[in-house]
Amino acid sequence: MNTPVTTSKSSYAIDVQNLTVGYGSNVLMKDLNFTVNNGEIFVILGGSGCGKSSLLKNLFGLYQPLSGDVLIEGQNITAAQGADRQKIMTSFGVMYQQGALFGSMNLLDNVTLFMQEYTQLTQDQMNLLARCKLDLVGLLPYEAYMPSEISGGMQKRAAIARAMALDPKILFLDEPSAGLDPITSADLDQTIMDLSKNLGITFVIVSHELASIYAIADKVIMLDKAAQGIIAEGDPKVLRDTSTDPRVHQFFNRITTKDAA
Amino acid sequence: MSVSDTISTVSIASSTPVAVWSQIDSSRAKIALSGIVNVYSLGGVWTQMCSAQNAWLAQISPANIKTATLTFDASQVTSLDGAGIAFLIGIEEVQQKAGAQFHLVGLGSRYEPLLNEFDPISHLFPVPVVKPKQSFTVSTGIAAQNIIDDARGLITFTGHLAADLVWSIRHIKQVRWGDFVNAAVEAGVAALPIVGLVAFLIGVILSFQAAIGMEQFGATSFVGPLAALGIVREMGPLITAILLAGRSSAAFAAEIGTMTVNSEVDALVSGGLSPIRFLVVPRVLAGILVAPILTLFADIVSIFASMLTMLIYGIPFINFYNGMLSAIDVEDILSGLIKATLFGVVVSAMGCLRGMQTGTGAAAVGISATRAVVSSIVMIVLVDGIFAFISYKTGF
Repeated sequence: MNTPVTTSKSSYAIDVQNLTVGYGSNVLMKDLNFTVNNGEIFVILGGSGCGKSSLLKNLFGLYQPLSGDVLIEGQNITAAQGADRQKIMTSFGVMYQQGALFGSMNLLDNVTLFMQEYTQLTQDQMNLLARCKLDLVGLLPYEAYMPSEISGGMQKRAAIARAMALDPKILFLDEPSAGLDPITSADLDQTIMDLSKNLGITFVIVSHELASIYAIADKVIMLDKAAQGIIAEGDPKVLRDTSTDPRVHQFFNRITTKDAA
Repeated sequence: MSVSDTISTVSIASSTPVAVWSQIDSSRAKIALSGIVNVYSLGGVWTQMCSAQNAWLAQISPANIKTATLTFDASQVTSLDGAGIAFLIGIEEVQQKAGAQFHLVGLGSRYEPLLNEFDPISHLFPVPVVKPKQSFTVSTGIAAQNIIDDARGLITFTGHLAADLVWSIRHIKQVRWGDFVNAAVEAGVAALPIVGLVAFLIGVILSFQAAIGMEQFGATSFVGPLAALGIVREMGPLITAILLAGRSSAAFAAEIGTMTVNSEVDALVSGGLSPIRFLVVPRVLAGILVAPILTLFADIVSIFASMLTMLIYGIPFINFYNGMLSAIDVEDILSGLIKATLFGVVVSAMGCLRGMQTGTGAAAVGISATRAVVSSIVMIVLVDGIFAFISYKTGF
């Protein structure tokens, strides 16, 4: 589906090795092993509360995993400290579930903030760059708005624009299309596919939106709370049509718990 | 197109792309870009190219500007990111604005869909909107209107609060006593150490200051009664109220402010519950309870501190005590406590009011907390002034 990609340092964008996710003694996921290829759109699935967002935060190093390693472009973010860690941190962008925009800045300033820290561009050049990002998510007319003045769905899109500010090679998106109308959601899917195909950006997405998953995902993993691990892995359409696991079947075919029982 | 279809997976900030500006003849110029173009490496290159371009355009006569052509050769580009696309757009826009021509050649086909996303590029360069300046009259009018609105808000809130307090007395079981206890513990018990410390120090300072003056007239024995009267009637309630304003009023404002930001207050209203009854009444009742108790505590600590201080001037406890008894009576203490109760109402109510008036966003909560402290202290001074006038007129 994507342009073939040459690899220089590591064959994977993200390599997860024996990762155990949890808080203190509360283990959510045990011994996870999976890899994300370069330029791939990788989707993490699972029921509410099974630890998808926690896993995501472990992947990009916000939380320290209970055990195991996460390699981002071959570099171990779990073990990295100080400047090394910061360098890895700039190689990806993150969109949080609630947007997490800086409330005291307008959208344009939200997007330019990281550029001001890390690049030598002039303010005008950064503004043009930020406008391009906002245009990609359809928010160009709102550049001067404060986050509190726009709707929740728009805040999410602005957060995606901010995550793309430094043109990272990897983007982590936590439920990007939840709460968006179908048209905006489809536009967003198209943008994600364009970026993946044309710029080779790797996407790691937590999502529930089945329509969107079928449209964009190259590979999915499905997590299960009871199993504390991955119960299915692969192409979502193939999983939907061929999986014999009742939990996977139920998820992809939207069968109620009552009917499944 | 001879672009290799490989994408580097590692962003190498150090390998700067090379951009070469060359002038073919008087009306034709060329930018040749090569290497890895990304947001980190583009800084200097972009500025250089842009200034060369501007210098070139400036020396072309207006008659020939239409034929001036800039060719952008991207055939040697190894990889390009979003910033590289923005660079292309930036250069093209300068050409467009000058009315000159722009030709892009050799760009990898995979970048074209991205470039097309931004077509037409003119919408990326909005005309800056100049905000009309407000005249002095208008801004004064708006400021006056704000003061009137604020006063109206305060009066409405006072009315609601009074009505809901009366309602609470009539429906005593429906008051949220759990919240009341939490607020009372937080504002009262937790404030004891700081109130004690400040009261002690004020007692010492007050006595020393008075003693220095009185000593010149050999009247140090009157310091005790003087300090005790001052503490009981004025300093005790004031210390307590200002500490409550700093601690609890700000806390109430931040707490209710965060709830407002998170639409929790809206959820109460849409559920048919009065946020004042639900959130404000328990806190104001807590203020009414803890303010006089804290004041009594402050009075005792402060007078004790004064006693210790006067020991240095050779006045024994018993003399201080007798002098104090002759100077103050129950009426003075009661007057102080009633005042403290009023302070308690004012401080907790102002905290809650500012919390409910919170705008949106994280910064708004901070503003509310600040406003709560400022308006609490203003109200304390106001109430104190009114109280002083009343007690002067009535002798209470």
